[in-house]
Amino acid sequence: MKVIAASEIHGSAELDDKALKAALSRYLSSPPRRIDRLIFQALLGAALLKEQVRSDCGLYLASRHPARPTMGALLDAVCVQQRQPKPFEFVNSVSNAAGFHVAQQLGLEGPNLFVGAGPRVWPQLQRLAALDLADGLVSQALLIVVEDLGDFRVQAVLLERGEASAPAADFAALTASVDVKRLDL
Amino acid sequence: MTPVYLQRGALHSTLGADLSDAASNLLADLRPQPTPFQLHELQQPRPYFAVATDETLDARLDRLLGETLGDAAAGDCLLIVASTALDITELETQVAADGGFRFEHSTPLDLMAERLRQRHGFADAFTLNTACTSAANGLLYGARLLASGDCTQVLVLAFETPSAIAQQGFSALDLTSPSGAYRPFHPERDGLVLGECYCATLLGLEPGPAPLAKLLGGFSACDTSSLTTTREDGSHIDWVMQRALNAAGVEAGQIGLIKLHGTATGANDLAESAGMRLLYPDQMPPLAVLKPWLGHTLGACGLSETLLLLAALRQGTLPALDYAGEALLPLPTEPTAIAPDALLLANFFGFGGNNASLVLQGIAQ
Repeated sequence: MKVIAASEIHGSAELDDKALKAALSRYLSSPPRRIDRLIFQALLGAALLKEQVRSDCGLYLASRHPARPTMGALLDAVCVQQRQPKPFEFVNSVSNAAGFHVAQQLGLEGPNLFVGAGPRVWPQLQRLAALDLADGLVSQALLIVVEDLGDFRVQAVLLERGEASAPAADFAALTASVDVKRLDL
Repeated sequence: MTPVYLQRGALHSTLGADLSDAASNLLADLRPQPTPFQLHELQQPRPYFAVATDETLDARLDRLLGETLGDAAAGDCLLIVASTALDITELETQVAADGGFRFEHSTPLDLMAERLRQRHGFADAFTLNTACTSAANGLLYGARLLASGDCTQVLVLAFETPSAIAQQGFSALDLTSPSGAYRPFHPERDGLVLGECYCATLLGLEPGPAPLAKLLGGFSACDTSSLTTTREDGSHIDWVMQRALNAAGVEAGQIGLIKLHGTATGANDLAESAGMRLLYPDQMPPLAVLKPWLGHTLGACGLSETLLLLAALRQGTLPALDYAGEALLPLPTEPTAIAPDALLLANFFGFGGNNASLVLQGIAQ
């Protein structure tokens, strides 16, 4: 596979959703409303590469954790306070909600997968994307990995079909041949 | 797509403790008795199809993996975990006991896949979560990884545990059935009944000693028109079904049975009906819905319903639906006998715009 572009975003745990929304508004003209932290992070990773993304691009998104504020609100409401959850929080808690918003904002029409990110997430995403590229289902593949351990990091890589090769072990190895667009928030 | 065999399968559901029991109960039209839960604040009951068991989750998953792996070596095998619940039931209990959510409660989304990989020695493992198409995508991408030579066997494990967040959340969206009459495509359908379920299948390029079916192809894509529904005109569903048939090298007219997604929610059944009429403007093949017997098993339905259908077709005729004459689609008014080796199209649609269709061919015993 050939790497076309890549982005890496670092953000502080101190940044609230309002700050993430402001950052996102620099790249997207009409970002979605009532979205959570994971969706903001995935959208930011994708937005930095959006000028190079075509509509027949598959999306392969991974996150180490769900959006903790959303999960906390749902768990507290349902399991502690015995209240009904807010519908938008429940819908946002669906793991592929972030993938949906990325696809909608970038106009992607192809496959849209969400993987729980573990230690081998980059080879796993590359293998899934390689299938769709090799079969001609998509002409590009957008890989995004979100890691939020308080401070957060979003890494994204845009690929297209190229010579077959073993998957790169990590983001650094995968993007060694391109300039990575970086954003520190 | 290179055909891939479902070499073995295991299902533990509300319909039976194993796949054979579940198929027998489906064919006898023995529907499970729901266990009600109360909606918070509203204090209204909603039905739930629970699994009767004393096993811990770990013990149940280990048993299913053992039954499905058989003599196969886990060290040659990729494990794909398809579930929307993962460890949520454990987390719900923990948060309730601690009186509130704390940052450290949040476990990694790959935790269960990684624990199972380490415990059983799988070559690799990952969690795939695309809402109600999770297991369908697990089958589809697992089969294609196998065919590409990326691994020698793939085990797809799918499950949904009883989750208070899922129960209350789907109810907050007015998607659960107040009546408990689970009637997909009925004009007065009133929603879904969630179901607990645990299932697994082993995929291989060779049939093995007792294969269940061949997965011939499939397709999965995202409809970005709405996060919770697909296009009501059925155009995206029609497109996904057509792409699935193309991937399998099968014409729509060759399909012997279509397993509908059929959630009994207002929007899904309308969109699927419209999609079916676009693909089959004149006459449709025989149709089947399975959620009235299994419940909606969410991320697991792509595998639970596939296994149940394959096992049932081997054992007898699928039951009729007593409201079929009123339904939006021509559901079976009489028991349906389908050849066990018929070509099957199976639909699975989910939140996040994910729509998927699989094309399978059953294998007679």
